[in-house]
Order: sequence, then C-alpha cells, then structure tokens
Amino acid sequence: MALGADRYATRGDTFVFVVTLALSLVAMSLPPTSRDPIASSLRRTVLWPFLQLQSRSDQLRTSRAAYVEVEAQRDSATLAAGELSEIRAENNRLRALLGLGTRLGSGFVPAEVLHQAAPTDPLTVVISAGSKRGVRPLAPVVAPEGLLGIVSHTEDATSVVATWANPEFRASGMASDGSVFGILAPHDSKGGVWLLEMSGVPYRTHVPFGTRILTSGLGGVLPRGIAIGTVVGSAGETEWDRTYLVRPAVPPGAVTHVMVLTNARNEDLRATFAPDSTKAQP
Amino acid sequence: MRRGESLRFWFVIALLVGLQFSVRSHLGDERIAPDFLLLALLTYTIRSRPGQSAAAGFIVGLISDALTPASFGAGALAHTIVGYLSSWAKAVFFADNLLVNGGLFFAGTWLRNAILVLASGKFSGQQLTWELFVWSPLEGVTTAFAGIAMLVIFRSWLAVRMGES
Repeated sequence: MALGADRYATRGDTFVFVVTLALSLVAMSLPPTSRDPIASSLRRTVLWPFLQLQSRSDQLRTSRAAYVEVEAQRDSATLAAGELSEIRAENNRLRALLGLGTRLGSGFVPAEVLHQAAPTDPLTVVISAGSKRGVRPLAPVVAPEGLLGIVSHTEDATSVVATWANPEFRASGMASDGSVFGILAPHDSKGGVWLLEMSGVPYRTHVPFGTRILTSGLGGVLPRGIAIGTVVGSAGETEWDRTYLVRPAVPPGAVTHVMVLTNARNEDLRATFAPDSTKAQP
Repeated sequence: MRRGESLRFWFVIALLVGLQFSVRSHLGDERIAPDFLLLALLTYTIRSRPGQSAAAGFIVGLISDALTPASFGAGALAHTIVGYLSSWAKAVFFADNLLVNGGLFFAGTWLRNAILVLASGKFSGQQLTWELFVWSPLEGVTTAFAGIAMLVIFRSWLAVRMGES
C-alpha cells in the first residue's frame, strides 16, 4: 500500500525532525568540557544497567572459556599424574605462562572492554572499571601485547579510554634498544588496517623494519617500556626527519580484556612487555 | 493500538535492546555484528509517525554517543535522520513485506554508519572507503538478517498496519 508523503508527514512531524536535527548539531558543536558531563551522566543513569548487563555477559563469555581451559588442564593433569616429574615440569611451564598481571605486580586494575556498534567504537572504548576501583584520568590502559590507550574520563563503575586510534592520541616512543625517539600518532589506514606513524625521527637515523617501538616515558604520562607496535614501513621524509609506519600491538576493535595501570607513571616496564614474556601468555 | 498488542510490541523492543548489551559481543567481529539497538529503532519507526521516529532516533543516537564519545552528537544526527527517513519511506513506498523490511534494515544501517563517519570527521582516505563500502554493508547485511529473523519469529506480534499510528 502506498500512501502520500503529505498524508503521513505532517507539519508537526517536520517540526520535531528539524528540532531534533538542530539539537544533534548543537551536541556535535559542544566542547569536550560540556559534552563529557552529559555523556557521563547518561552512562551513570540510563545506561548503567545496560553496561552492567554487558559487563556480566562478557564475564560469562570469559568464564566459559576459562572453564574449557580448566577442563583441558584437568585432563592434561590426569594424564600427567602418573609421573611426578611430569607434574613438576607442567608446574614450571604454568608458572612460566603466568600472565601479565603477575609481571605487573599490584599496580593495576583489570577490566572488560564494552564494545559498541558504532563505527567510531575503536576510537574511544568504555571499560568496566571506574574511579571506585582506583582508575584515574590519564592512566595507561594495556593488554598483554601492549598499549591500548589512555583513560580520558572516569565514572564510578566505568571509564572511557581514548585508544591509540583516536585522532587526538599522541605518545612519545622509542625503539626497543633506546636508539631512536619519535612522536607516535594515528595514521590513515591501508586496506582497513589502522596504523600509527612515528614522526620526528632524525633524518640520519634509519629504523629497520620489524623494530619494536615502546613508550619512552618522556612527558610523564605513559611509563617507559610499554609495547606500542612494530615498524612496518616508511611514510615519508623531509630534509630533517623521517616518518615511519608502525603496526600497533593491540587492535582496539578486537581486544576484550585490559588492565589499567594505576601506579606505574615512573616505572620502567620494558621487562614486562619483553617479546618473550608476551609469547608466554597462557 | 490495543493494550495487548502494545505490550507485545514493547516486549520485542526491550528484547532487542537486551540483545544489544548481552548477545552482540558474542557474535564475532564487532564491525559486522548486527546492531540490535538500531534494529529496535527501525522496528519502532515502521509503525510510528516520522516525528515520533525522529525523536526516538535522537534519543537512541544520544545514548549511542554516550558510549562512543569520540563522535558525540554525530550518532544523534545519524539516528535522527535514519529514524525520520525510515518512517517516511515506510509510509510512502512500503508494503508489509518481509524482504522490503529487510531492505529497510540494510539501508538504515548503511545510511546510519555513512552519516556517522562523515559527520564525526574522524575518518578519511582508505579508512573511510573501507568503512563505507566494506564494513558498513556487511553490518547492514547481518542486521537485515537479524531483522528478518525477528519479523519471522514475532510476525503476528509486529503486524504492521499503516493506519494505526
């Protein structure tokens, strides 16, 4: 059945449409100092039960995966129980596989990443840990593979993380051997893969492809030694400096669990994010 | 709308909102998993007036913006436009047909994402191309399939009658 537009969309409908359109444009033009409290109050009130539901759902998924893993470990242990030496070897191996949390000690808060449907989700993500658990703005957020981003805003039970893909993200980086320093920022993607670029590298310095890039600790926000990514190409050069493409260690769209470093600003975490220890994740 | 019908309709809407925050993250890649919240909005717009749909779109968009603050306001703009156009187009062109509704869900998802990425200004170059022509269509397809499944399951509950609103 086809109905005429004039029959269905009245002046009242058009008026509401124009008003909501105008309100949307006003919302877009709000400065961060005005829009953050609005977004924060929505997350603390209307969205709070839904975020709790999503957090529980993600925990359930993790629990199932952990259950399967425990079952597999139990079966392995049953097989190995015949020989004590086998159990000792297994014990040593499991100790070696202890995760990032053990290496970090106590200065972290674990959290789930509560992904949303919007295409801009990888730029800022909401995590299930907030100020009640000690999360503060500007705290680094890491996955076992490396840096995800920085906490930009906190509420009681949740926090907003500006990931490295956010256009406003900047970090001081260095080669893993400390020989080269540069500024890391998001780069336009190639084939849908989000990359970082490291600029400000002196022209005379050549960075081999495959070099691991870590945070340098300069600037006082990010501690030294968190893995950021690996150099995969050159993005250009001027008379004074070169810019390199860096494949980030952590894909923000795929990461599900993170740790917020609450007391690591002056620490050196190079040993924590060393390649061997990353591979040793269970 | 009779009271019983109304309750059943809102039950389906609430179910979709619940699925968004409980099941969606289990359905694989976040970029292409069906958007149940948008599906709830489009389902609402099928049987509502364009003005009501625009207002509902604005609210859904604002909620979406609160969860992805990188594009605050852009979600509200995108959902408002999609809500209004969906309701208007439904009245002008549509019959109560399963495939046509599937097309509406696909087009609504793609248009929402297109407006969102363009209005947010955070995408450019190949990122923008991939978002518009790869990820958004794929999300549109999965959302359309989820919408068709919902209509098949709840068809008697969601019977759309043009004159009712």
